[in-house]
Amino acid sequence: MTIRRIGAAGAALTVLAALGGCALNGAGGTEADAGADASGEVTGEVTLQTWALKPSFTEYVEGVIDDFEQEYPGTTVTWLDQPGDGYSEKVLAQAAAGELPDVTNLPPDFALSLAREGLLTDVTEVDDTLEDTYVAGALEAYQYRGIEGTFGFPWYLTTDLNYWNTEMFEAAGLDPAAPPTSLDELVAQARTMMDETGGYLMSRKPGVGDFAAEGIPVLSEDGTEFVFNTPEAAALLDVYRTAYADGLLPDDVLTDAYLGNSQLFTEGKVAWSTGGGNFINSVLENNPSLEGKITSSPYMGATPLYVQGLSVSSQSANPTTAVALARFVTNAANQEAFAAEVPGVFPSTTASQEKPELAESDGTPQGDAKQIAFSNLTTAQVLQPVEVDEAMTTIINQQFAAAIAGDKTSQEALDAAVEECNRLLADQ
Amino acid sequence: MTRIAKTVRGVRTGRVRAQLTERTTARTSEPTGEPTPAHAVRTHAWFTPWLLVAPAVLFLLAFNLWPTANAFFLAFTNVRVLSGGELVGFANFERMLSDAQLATALVNSIVYMLVCVPFLLLVPLGLAVLVEKKLPGIAFFRTAFYTPVVASAVVVALIWGWLLDDRGIINSMALNLGFVTEAIPFLTDRWLVLFSAISLTIWKGLGYYMVIYLSALGGVPRELHEAAAVDGAGALRRFWSITIPGVRNTMLLVSVMITVSALRVFAELYILTNGTGGIGGADVSVVMLIQMYARGFSGNLGYASALSLLLFVITLGPLLLIARINRGRG
Repeated sequence: MTIRRIGAAGAALTVLAALGGCALNGAGGTEADAGADASGEVTGEVTLQTWALKPSFTEYVEGVIDDFEQEYPGTTVTWLDQPGDGYSEKVLAQAAAGELPDVTNLPPDFALSLAREGLLTDVTEVDDTLEDTYVAGALEAYQYRGIEGTFGFPWYLTTDLNYWNTEMFEAAGLDPAAPPTSLDELVAQARTMMDETGGYLMSRKPGVGDFAAEGIPVLSEDGTEFVFNTPEAAALLDVYRTAYADGLLPDDVLTDAYLGNSQLFTEGKVAWSTGGGNFINSVLENNPSLEGKITSSPYMGATPLYVQGLSVSSQSANPTTAVALARFVTNAANQEAFAAEVPGVFPSTTASQEKPELAESDGTPQGDAKQIAFSNLTTAQVLQPVEVDEAMTTIINQQFAAAIAGDKTSQEALDAAVEECNRLLADQ
Repeated sequence: MTRIAKTVRGVRTGRVRAQLTERTTARTSEPTGEPTPAHAVRTHAWFTPWLLVAPAVLFLLAFNLWPTANAFFLAFTNVRVLSGGELVGFANFERMLSDAQLATALVNSIVYMLVCVPFLLLVPLGLAVLVEKKLPGIAFFRTAFYTPVVASAVVVALIWGWLLDDRGIINSMALNLGFVTEAIPFLTDRWLVLFSAISLTIWKGLGYYMVIYLSALGGVPRELHEAAAVDGAGALRRFWSITIPGVRNTMLLVSVMITVSALRVFAELYILTNGTGGIGGADVSVVMLIQMYARGFSGNLGYASALSLLLFVITLGPLLLIARINRGRG
């Protein structure tokens, strides 16, 4: 009786599992999809998906859409805005279901997986003025190792710079006008601050982006393996390890379980944070008592570049209009208007790079921060390879924490992280 | 042999059994009402029962059986969310053998289970016995014990995270009162993180299992306690000889529930370690690994499904054990 029951259950599972086989088909497009024909007339309906722009920028986006529909009579744009949290899952679900909007706001790492499956249009095939229109670094962010093409129109750019709490610096006898410019100086001043006041200067642990900022290779040239388990990388981790052992970093920096570095800075509990050009505004909004107590300086090492772009679905029913819309939203005039709305966000268009209102400070700390951020954009680079996914980030965090805590040597932690990340990379 | 022991033996073997038999006989000999007519009028179509169960069956098929079967199938493939894949035989299971994180996760799950089961099996029973008594204001304590159950696991874990943090209330108080000279690393030490999460699970589960025991205690005849008390049995002896046997089946059920939920722990460890699994991933759980591998654009659904299959088999073990014990008793 029992055997018969088990047999019946097994048969039922087999039938259901056979039905489940449809999962093997995947959701990808074909190679031919990658170059959708966009040579027709700009007309009809398209969908534009943005990421967390409502309600703060509703007026701006609706204005751009209205302008587009006036510029191209007969077009109708449906605007979808997704919440900030869970955006990658949302896009993933849309892509898996074959329902990717015609034009979607995708950062380069999101676009990579979709481009691999042929779900995005190679914009070099529909626009031969890309290099004249957009800055090189932004375009390169949408060009991937092993895949021919560019898979997004660059939209707005952001970068990071250093912010310092001048009050905490002065209390420790440090000069806020001469903040650290290297990791060694940072640790030395953190030690002084701890000795003099018991306060923290440092409250973050490094990631692979910090290696890239110091010129340490993270991924091999051909993109097939991670290579950040070098003595140079181990030496950098050792600096944090020693700082942690000497009590210069709070214990919970290892798990980020308490409050992030930027939150502690906002609360006036640590004297250093990195952040975008607009970070100072949000700090002062949340903690007005820091007014006049924040100064900024350029990022240590290579400056990070964060790019947002608009990608066009290769399966769009109306590729011509979709490409026209992506171009329109990312043109110089619209990007400059957006940058004016959001301090700290900069246009990716070449024509906007000489604009005096972006390059000059009005003398306020906020203006200085914006000016520093903008002036470093020309040399900024995407520091963390787009191939680093969530699982890899988790593993890197685990191993770096183990090294800094002293549970294993920095070299052992790096070797373990590289081995596991390479295994995951081979799976991609 | 002391007088008490003799009395208790008498309680167990003589009078109590007689009373139980009496009750059972009384129950079975109750009138069963009017006899059913030989030719009852059929008032529904043949498909009515099927129609009534259809929503539940469809729900079960769509959200339980289908995903289960799909996961079973995917475990033998290298399917990704977007790219599809192919059958790879037992490759995912071979990979498990060399997965150090999985070994760590299994150790954590087993420790979790071994600590949670005795605590959540016995402490809620004690609480249930305490709040079962009809005393003024006892409803307050019932509600207080049950409140953590109602709270969201994520919210509770966040609150505990703030409590246990280096600069949290517990460490601040301990430092200010001079109990410790430096903060206790509740959230950064490999074992302290695990036991912090276990404490949270126990605290949150007390009320839930207490309510289950309360309903079971309602089924233990009061006369038995009275008879035992008349015979001189103390509170502890009555608890051991009457209450425990009376709720034994419930204890078996509760132990299964705790075992399964302990093996599948996720929210507590995930929140307390901020999703990283702790330093070096030493506090990761199996469900966290499944989540880690399955998420994102390049999520490896094949390996994640194989892990979930492993977890399924592991949790099946205690269930079969309990089923066997029940059958043996029957």
